[in-house]
Amino acid sequence: MAKVENQKNIDFYQKKVKNRKLGGSLEFTTSRFAYQLTSVLAIFLLLWQVVMPIAQGNAPSVIMIILTAVFAVEALLQMFVMKKIEKEVTGNEGQISDATRKLGVLLIICLVTGNLFMFIAGAMLVKKEKNLEYQLTIYSFLVTVLIIFVSFINLFKEAQVETFWLGIGLYVLYALLNLVILVAVNKYTFGKKPDKKFIPFAVISILGIALGNVFLFVLGLITIGKYRNKNEEVSVEWIDIIVRLFRNYTAVIGVLLVVFFISLSIGSNLTFDYDIAISNNFAARLAEPSLKYPFGCDEYGRCVFTRLVFGARISLIIGLISTIAPIIAGGLLGAMAGYFGGKIDNGIMRVLDVFNAVPSILLAIAIIAAFGVSTINLVLALSVSSIPGYARIVRAQVLGVSNQEFVEAAKACGAKNGTIIFRHIIPNSLAPVIVQATMGIGSAVLSTSSLSYLGLGVEPHVPEWGNVLKAGSTFLETNPYIAIFPGLAIILIVLAFNFFGDGLRDALDPKLK
Amino acid sequence: MNIKTFKDTFTRMYRNSTYRIWLWVLGFFTVLITFITYKCRKGKDAFAGVKTKVREELDAQNLKEKLLADAIIQVKKKNEYFRKTASDSDVEKEAKAIANKNFETILHDKAKEIAEMQNIKEITMASCYSDLMDNMLFRIISIVISLPMYIIMFLFTRPIAKYATERIFMMIFVLFGVVWLVFTILYIAPMDASKNILGPTATQDMIDSWKSMHGLDQPYLVQLFRTFKNLITFDLGNAYQDNAPVMEAIGSRFPITLQVTFWSMVVALVIAIPAGIISAIKPYTSFDYIAMFFALLGLSIPNFWLGLMMILLFAINLGLLPTSFDPNNWMTLIMPAFVVGTGMSASIARMTRSSMMEVKTSDYVLTARAKGLAENKVVLKHILGNAMIPIITTVGMSFGGLLGGASVTEKVFNINGIGSYIVDKQFIPDIPVVLGGVVYLSFVVSLANLVIDILYAVIDPRIKSKMKNY
Repeated sequence: MAKVENQKNIDFYQKKVKNRKLGGSLEFTTSRFAYQLTSVLAIFLLLWQVVMPIAQGNAPSVIMIILTAVFAVEALLQMFVMKKIEKEVTGNEGQISDATRKLGVLLIICLVTGNLFMFIAGAMLVKKEKNLEYQLTIYSFLVTVLIIFVSFINLFKEAQVETFWLGIGLYVLYALLNLVILVAVNKYTFGKKPDKKFIPFAVISILGIALGNVFLFVLGLITIGKYRNKNEEVSVEWIDIIVRLFRNYTAVIGVLLVVFFISLSIGSNLTFDYDIAISNNFAARLAEPSLKYPFGCDEYGRCVFTRLVFGARISLIIGLISTIAPIIAGGLLGAMAGYFGGKIDNGIMRVLDVFNAVPSILLAIAIIAAFGVSTINLVLALSVSSIPGYARIVRAQVLGVSNQEFVEAAKACGAKNGTIIFRHIIPNSLAPVIVQATMGIGSAVLSTSSLSYLGLGVEPHVPEWGNVLKAGSTFLETNPYIAIFPGLAIILIVLAFNFFGDGLRDALDPKLK
Repeated sequence: MNIKTFKDTFTRMYRNSTYRIWLWVLGFFTVLITFITYKCRKGKDAFAGVKTKVREELDAQNLKEKLLADAIIQVKKKNEYFRKTASDSDVEKEAKAIANKNFETILHDKAKEIAEMQNIKEITMASCYSDLMDNMLFRIISIVISLPMYIIMFLFTRPIAKYATERIFMMIFVLFGVVWLVFTILYIAPMDASKNILGPTATQDMIDSWKSMHGLDQPYLVQLFRTFKNLITFDLGNAYQDNAPVMEAIGSRFPITLQVTFWSMVVALVIAIPAGIISAIKPYTSFDYIAMFFALLGLSIPNFWLGLMMILLFAINLGLLPTSFDPNNWMTLIMPAFVVGTGMSASIARMTRSSMMEVKTSDYVLTARAKGLAENKVVLKHILGNAMIPIITTVGMSFGGLLGGASVTEKVFNINGIGSYIVDKQFIPDIPVVLGGVVYLSFVVSLANLVIDILYAVIDPRIKSKMKNY
């Protein structure tokens, strides 16, 4: 009996050790995720595009069969690599052999089929030592290539917008630049401190924000921050937070999606035709999904795919503004209430109680009912209804912080109220607000689409995701795809922000995990 | 309640400035008689005599000058430290204020000390009241005349009742605030309902007479006051469009909304609580990852899209369930309840997990296990029981969101509830309907929050024990 118990314990702990080893290996986590996703995709394609047409008596299209086969092969390859990594990591050596690492090249090539997760797995496998800079460059390259891929869908259209090839050229150049930066990263940044020669690259990277490439932007900031850090033994706090964030693979995927949507909403200005998104084309009325119109067309013959691409921009802008505005307003009110306390606190909180008593969607409906349907009113409505939430968080946070010794010390030194609030209290109470804001962008996108669905969001012709969905919901019986794809887009972006927010919370407060 | 409790409660309540006002308002005659007695007795009693004696004594000791000198040094030192420059007269003024205050405190303390030794009591409102209460006649008359005051005194002695009363009072205050807020938003609106109702061909005269019929030509404050009056009399006015009483329309639609909300809540709890418990007890397992992924997915799916997809799958493609809502057919309730419920269960499951994870490592859980308690009991009673507060908060908050957000789901499933009523009428905009609907829903949400707050006090022993000293 005791022996059995003992064996059980040993097994339990060995399993725990194994899991810890695997979980700590970036190569394994990325491989496993790529394997899971690729196989799900392959099975989905098999069922949806091959089995279902056969069941309905139609012949499945050849392209789809080939695509399914390709994904199936990729999934098998990824499984093989994953098993190998697992064996080597948990084996005696505890390290991945060079032969396995070379397999990473195969995985990288899979990017040609659009399999970005295998690309990530490959890029993580090929190189033995990976720092944050390396990862950032890889993700940035990936986003650029994805934008090029998405833009290439326009090639199936009859005509491309004039700036199409300019845009594609720009992005190809940018991808090459990315590779150059990757080489530079490998050469200069693996020491304790980035080499001086990397600084020009860092500056170029920061300029990447113009194309919406947040990864390179962060890379530039990090290297410069590290370079300027005088004491090598002490790490910079905000860089540590980013390092912790990038250790969490789900958060990375969230960030990747967010950056992809941001880049796409900037890149689409060059490579996508806004006319297709808004002008009527009755020849293509309610067209089925095809290579020309990947997500079909709506009742006015507008390409749903193009509308979604342009909708990303609107949703992101509305989400951002209606998150930043209430943070500023709510943050100020909450900080004042928490810091001064007493009558000011009471007064502010009672007013916010009134705002809080009205369910936020209803308040938004009332505001829009009063001021009419327009984008500005929508942003106003969303902002006003989320002020109390932020004020509450900031107030609670400030109440906690302002009782601490360093604030007392600042007061004793005779610092002014403004200085104490802005220099000491706000920076120290920011963490939960940032997390809430990240998730808030996602829920603002959700609320926007809900209100648009009710006809209370942005003007009907604007290709906002909720609007596209509303247009599709009338054809649910005959053309369901018009409603399905916008919904998926909304889910994807909200999910991305939620992943990001969750990761950020863990990164900002390691104690919570 | 015996007489002593009355006296003690009066003393405690009179100390609190807010309650002092309420004592005056609710028990005017009793407090007035007490006040008159107090004014008459003050200055003529033994305590006043002691005080004068002490004052003379202290004056003889030159205490005032001493205190002033001390205070001047203090103020000067303070200014020096903060590098402030102040004129001598300012310094003296500040110092005098401090010195006077100190003198009065010392005087009062000393007088009290001596009075206590000689067994003399200071005359206060409370002592006057307790003297009067000893009089049988006063007691009976007072209870008859100032019954409201005694009711509030009774509530004051029961902590939970006192808390609930205060909360209800706050709620009424907040509701008036809500009416003011929504009314003001609709009042300053550029949207004009008259054109939408009378049609584009309406002349200016028609518009004017329509406006005066609904009292829209009156000034802001008059209209606001009328709205407040309507709220108190539970009459939300008539709708612009069909002149039907708003209260009736809401009354007939609200049960439908409430029914959907209730079943959604049931669905949400049935999914979320077990999922959250298993995730928390076996964290970082496949179940945990999958459940939490679905929870995050549930937070990210727009409710109306999920509704549309369910209609597409179950109603159109499979033909299992009817598409639009019918109050007499419970089958039609399945889809709305499921759609809203899954959305809500996401946040509840996440909260259950994180809150239980926090409690799980507590010492008392270890103790419970160490004394050999069955695992089920440890999990359900000790861990879940102590993790309940944040979960209940989340449920309560999502109840509000649910009632508000119901408008979208109601639109998808064609439910004739209060949310879709507001949305339909807001295009005009039919101000009484929007105002009435929003206020009504806010009232229900506030009520739900109130119930939850009181529930805390009842279920959580920590809060209960804190309440005792409330």
